[in-house]
Amino acid sequence: MTRHRTIATAAVAVALLASACSQGSATRSATGEDGKVTLRYFTFSAAPDHLKDLETIEKAFEKENPKVDVVVETSPFDEYFTKLQTSIAGGTAPDTFELNYENFVTYADSGTLLDLGAAGAGDDTSVYSPASLDAFKHGGKQYALPASFSTVVLFYNKDLFDKAGVAPPTADWTWAEEQEAARKLTDKKNGVYGDFQPVTFFEFYKTLKQAGGEFLSADGKKAAFDSPQGLKAARWLVDKVGTTMPTEAEIGGTADYDTNLFKSGKLAMWHNGIWQFAGLKDVPFEWDVVVEPGDASKASAVFYNAVAASATTRHGKEAYAWARFLSASDVAATTRIASSWELPPVSDQQVLSGYLKDPKPANRQAVFDSLESIALPPVVKRQQEMQDVVTEQLGEAVAGRVAVEEALKTAAADVDALLS
Amino acid sequence: MNRRGWRYALTVAVFLLPSLVPLTLYTLIPMAGSLWTSLHEWDLISEMRWVGLDNYAELIGDPGTRAAFLHTLSFIAGYLPLVYVGGLGLAVLLNRPMRGRSLLRGVYFLPVITSWVVVALMWKWLLNPAGGIVNWALGLIGVSGPGWWTDPAWAMPSIIIATAWKDLGFVMIILLAGLQAIPREYQEAAMVDGATAWRRFRHITLPLLSPSTFFVIVISLINGFQVFDQVQIMTGGGPGGATQVVVSQIYDLTFRYGRAGAASALSWLLFALVLLVTIVQIRGQRRWVTYG
Amino acid sequence: MGKAVKYAVVGLGALVMLFPFAWAVITSITPGEAVLAVPPDFTPEGASLAAYAKLLETLPFWRIVLNSLWIGVASTALQLVTSAMAAYAFARLPFPGRGALFAVYLATLMMPLPVLVVPLFIEMRMLGLVDTYFALLAPTIASAFGVFLLRQAVQQVPREFDEAAVLDGAGHFRIFAYVVLPLIRPALATFAIFGFMASWNSYLWPLIIIKSPEFMTLPLGLATLHGQFTTEWDVVMAGSVVSVVPILVLYVFAEKHVIASVAQSGLK
Repeated sequence: MTRHRTIATAAVAVALLASACSQGSATRSATGEDGKVTLRYFTFSAAPDHLKDLETIEKAFEKENPKVDVVVETSPFDEYFTKLQTSIAGGTAPDTFELNYENFVTYADSGTLLDLGAAGAGDDTSVYSPASLDAFKHGGKQYALPASFSTVVLFYNKDLFDKAGVAPPTADWTWAEEQEAARKLTDKKNGVYGDFQPVTFFEFYKTLKQAGGEFLSADGKKAAFDSPQGLKAARWLVDKVGTTMPTEAEIGGTADYDTNLFKSGKLAMWHNGIWQFAGLKDVPFEWDVVVEPGDASKASAVFYNAVAASATTRHGKEAYAWARFLSASDVAATTRIASSWELPPVSDQQVLSGYLKDPKPANRQAVFDSLESIALPPVVKRQQEMQDVVTEQLGEAVAGRVAVEEALKTAAADVDALLS
Repeated sequence: MNRRGWRYALTVAVFLLPSLVPLTLYTLIPMAGSLWTSLHEWDLISEMRWVGLDNYAELIGDPGTRAAFLHTLSFIAGYLPLVYVGGLGLAVLLNRPMRGRSLLRGVYFLPVITSWVVVALMWKWLLNPAGGIVNWALGLIGVSGPGWWTDPAWAMPSIIIATAWKDLGFVMIILLAGLQAIPREYQEAAMVDGATAWRRFRHITLPLLSPSTFFVIVISLINGFQVFDQVQIMTGGGPGGATQVVVSQIYDLTFRYGRAGAASALSWLLFALVLLVTIVQIRGQRRWVTYG
Repeated sequence: MGKAVKYAVVGLGALVMLFPFAWAVITSITPGEAVLAVPPDFTPEGASLAAYAKLLETLPFWRIVLNSLWIGVASTALQLVTSAMAAYAFARLPFPGRGALFAVYLATLMMPLPVLVVPLFIEMRMLGLVDTYFALLAPTIASAFGVFLLRQAVQQVPREFDEAAVLDGAGHFRIFAYVVLPLIRPALATFAIFGFMASWNSYLWPLIIIKSPEFMTLPLGLATLHGQFTTEWDVVMAGSVVSVVPILVLYVFAEKHVIASVAQSGLK
């Protein structure tokens, strides 16, 4: 009988434990006992490398706004939107959260965002660069404040260029020069490649603009990339694979293959974002960056992140204050610049000049030069599907299963279907 | 009901409720929720919009859905025989006393507990068409290896091989537990009668193992229909959509494409198929499963 | 089959099984750029435990491991109790609609998790349980997988045993506790491993229901090591290696029970 009882006791104990642990956790109320407002902020761009920087900004904000307690929740980018959508669906949306430019329209359209223009009415927004502020207007309303941006540039390994006796890239290079240099620098026997540019939606919309084409028709209702310029852009990307760039099989599914290839000194030119600067500090060779070569014109990709507030927040004013502080305060701007945590979207050149003081890479000015002609990704309501179909069709062309023309035609038809 | 009847009913309830209550609360109710969702168009972030059976109608006519089901079925067709035969062989080999048996069982179980991230990266490397070990070995015997996961025709076989390899230990340990439950006396009696090893296996081990076999097949089928993680990591549904399976579709629709309603409808179509297959198995078990 | 051949086959297979794990270990002690070299370099230069140190430094590591451990243990214990009881009912207590109810249990395994997490989240929100330990545990209190596995085991127990106990005047609770449970030890041990593993590796549900870092579990912690653009693979691999250890320990303990043949405890 004792054993019998032991089992029953164990079952009861476990049940009690289970109910106890549901109470053990903090159930936070939005307004604390001392009249403090708790403001939740959900972000993907801080973790894992810039949590301390975000904390610096948060502390400075709380010092200026002693009545507000900002609670930061982070998630890796890959799962960020899964989490954000579910919490909105469940009615527990964070008061403020980060959105990237590509996803902004989907959220602005859905009615989940607070009109920050109204929440912060009367505030002077001249500190923002006008272009970045406009990027987050939708239907005439300021649904988010730009918080940071990054650009894509051409990284190059100086040592490889010197060794091969090829003149290093300059700001006025075009595709033709890049291609010629890449050919000369590719040395497959020694595992050295001339070039690396992923064949994806993000590279395609940009090279399309470089070639002088448009992704969507002027009214935004049809795909316009199935054009001579589109074909040229797609060929430019697709033809690199297997000639001056490794094939998918050679990459072998290795994670971060291109980063490691460049870091090990076996990649001459690399199309990538300025977020790579920090990781390249200690490589044992000389490297630098230039504005990406263009074709008919120059066009550089810019990735914006912004802060938005939930339409359901009870603290609209505080949410605006935090969004404003996080995106454009001096503390935020200098913290970002000091830690190379992307760039602040401010118009004050004085603040930005701090960015140029860092000695590596020498040509940091290229980052600002690239802003002179930018290419923002086309955004539609069914953004993710559009990105996926374009990337998939380009992949088919790379694998040689369909001709480039065919791939573009299919992708354009798919995108048309998504827009209708 | 008389008093004894009530007592018996109470006994049954006491045995069942500890699992029935949580299953109802945390699985059956959410299932009902997804049934409700399936009748709506919903992107999770805006209001739900009633569309009736439109999601089902759209999915049934969609060639993408048909392809996803076909890919899933072809996965099962390759995976199930491989993993069962392999797992059974291992269990039988490692059931007999031999030196280092415990250690070996542990080693064969290791892939089961290693994360898919590691396993998938490893298999992509082993099955690399350019310079992978497998194609190199095939080259030695004069066979030129296929393009594996870069080739639409070979991508699914690549996933099948990696999955069967990872799950061998799972099948092994379940069948081992089943083998251990077979009273040794039966085998010994047969041995005294002079039965050969094959006959003992065929007429004693296999029938007595049938409850475990039944379990392995039902569970592997249920899991096989829901294959997802390894596809996501190894091929992401590619190349050219050749490995896009049903649950990949469901995940994309829910969390990436803002179509939670369609995703729920697709889940119910999958559910119906799996349920049908499982019921057929339960009905059929009487013919070949022997319980003690 | 010759003994030598048997050893050769099993041994060679074992090497193949060990390979990825060895590779993860080696990657985790390979610093910086050599990480993820293809083919793997099995004699890495400058091997170091820096990645493990970094793991401890970037994450509230022990807190995370403790969370995962106690949730894993609690969920395994709960599942063992609830599943064994249900298994007994399904194998030994006939009642009208039993087959149908068992089908309902099995049916809960057939719905893909990605569509269940959203309704479950909404339900948890209504119950006020978002961001609690209980919410992490709730979906793992009962396991249809466990009920099925253990039902098969109970059905394999010869009925003569129960009948003997009934003659001694034992009721169902006593038969369950004293006759059946000891005899299905191998299945219980097997299920303990899988139950723990499921909780230990569970990702999507914790990801969605947990907001506060203090409730974070190991898979969530390891996921935070992946940045938007870059990932430190040596640290990720170190995390993968560490996350295998508790299951391996549990396996070693449970395996003894799997071996401890019921047959040896004497039949007839």
